Amino acid sequence: MRVPHSCEASSGHRPVEALCVFPAVSDNSSILPNQPTRAREAPDQALRTDSRLGHIIRVLSENATIVISGTKLASEIQTSRSEVWRLVQQLRGFGVEITGHPATGYQLASVPDLLLPEVLTPLMKGTIFARDIHHYFRVGSTNFEAMQAAAAGAPDGSVFIAEEQIAGRGRAGHTWASEPSTGIYVSLVLRPQIAPADALLLSLIAGIAAHEAVNEVTGIRPDIRWPNDLLIGDQKFCGILTEMNAEVTRVRYAVVGIGINVNQADFPEDLRPIATSLQIANGRRHSRVALAAALLRAFDSEYRSLMSLGAAQARLAIFERFEQRSSYARGKHVHVDENGGYDGVTAGLDERGFLLVQTDGGMRTVLSGSVRPVDIKE
Amino acid sequence: MNQKEIKELIDFLIEKDIAEFELERGDVKLRVKRGSQPLAVTSLSAPVATVVPAMQAVPVAHPISPPAPANAQAASVAAPAAPAGEDESAWQIVKSPIVGTFYESPSPGAPAFVKPGDSVTVGQVLCIVEAMKLMNEIESDYAGVVAKSYVTNGQPVEYGQPLFAIRPS
Repeated sequence: MRVPHSCEASSGHRPVEALCVFPAVSDNSSILPNQPTRAREAPDQALRTDSRLGHIIRVLSENATIVISGTKLASEIQTSRSEVWRLVQQLRGFGVEITGHPATGYQLASVPDLLLPEVLTPLMKGTIFARDIHHYFRVGSTNFEAMQAAAAGAPDGSVFIAEEQIAGRGRAGHTWASEPSTGIYVSLVLRPQIAPADALLLSLIAGIAAHEAVNEVTGIRPDIRWPNDLLIGDQKFCGILTEMNAEVTRVRYAVVGIGINVNQADFPEDLRPIATSLQIANGRRHSRVALAAALLRAFDSEYRSLMSLGAAQARLAIFERFEQRSSYARGKHVHVDENGGYDGVTAGLDERGFLLVQTDGGMRTVLSGSVRPVDIKE
Repeated sequence: MNQKEIKELIDFLIEKDIAEFELERGDVKLRVKRGSQPLAVTSLSAPVATVVPAMQAVPVAHPISPPAPANAQAASVAAPAAPAGEDESAWQIVKSPIVGTFYESPSPGAPAFVKPGDSVTVGQVLCIVEAMKLMNEIESDYAGVVAKSYVTNGQPVEYGQPLFAIRPS
């Protein structure tokens, strides 16, 4: 996912609210309240993780209680001792705590909670995500990487996951001191055999899957704000953005990007009212590996059910699961930031998954606007 | 909605042999009825409460442009005339694969992906249609020149609605 530079409703740009807990920056340039910002324009730094880094961590993890000599590491990953030293320094730069130096050998100070393919792949057995996991310590946008790869033929189930995402940061002058390895930033390449119109269901199942995973791993039961923001109270900790390349009758590929604030201990003051993390919510650190694995497994289950039943059969059950998890589905007083903005009371989803809002002027359908709660003054 | 757009809408309805069509957009209402009777078009600039059933699901309360005087619109359609020298039948029409909001650029304030007169290649991104936080990048299936763009930035579009005409090269 791209790190959203601007996200809450009050200002110009809307979602890539991806992870977006990030704030709205004031921007008066936009006439349109909801214009998206797409990952495509974020070709910044993409530093595909050197697979030897994961390999070093795996060897050190398997021998966590003992010191491993530089010579042994070098032979394990088939390189020189000086190269091992360089890679170890690089890992330290990414926040991995490794003690020692070439003369003494190396030891992991603690097993890091990193989303490495070497760690995730064994947990993905039996899912579509078991084959092709791409990891980045630092990336502009995982959605951008995934879209590029999909255009070049990446298979259904390819995963692009990062410890830190930097695109968009600083845009509009907002500096976000993103601490690496505190969130989950993951993009999934999908090649669903469904009509483009039915691909909207991917947006809903992604939110449902993230809800399931968070509930399973942390015990927290979040809310879903249509279509797929995850909230604790009114504060957002998970954002989802889907990108699709389609013909009129056929989806070529889609990329579902999911960002979750997991172990952030705090946010800048301007974000505190609207952003939270799972750690802030219940005071505990959570395993990002466990959460990422649960997320991919839950998405795999939803996705395969949609593919095997077909959109027509799966649709109603998906809407029902959404409504069970979302206080926004029905009976909520909301403001909709679309078509000039209007207020009303939510009235369930229509047959396509769009949110219905009962207004004084009749029933309206929300296509893409952001939905925010309204305090009703009696 | 300008006169040219109305004319093209009617051409589209004729092409698809649609007998009756009604559209409400903000304070513009347009009704087209064709068949054995002479072509009749009414266009009102006042909000109208009734909508034909087929259009009920369409969220169209979005003014796309200041409505022109009703009689001017009706008059232009009553006497349609093709722009000089342009064979529009050769145009390839790029249509929206989903219901959503049309965006001409990748982000607010950024230049449009394409504008009329631009050359495009097969696979080039023309616009984004977004719904439910799903961004659908619409690519050109044709190589040629953008002859026309049918919708404006931020406008809601229906499934199958024409977005661009490409004059094949």
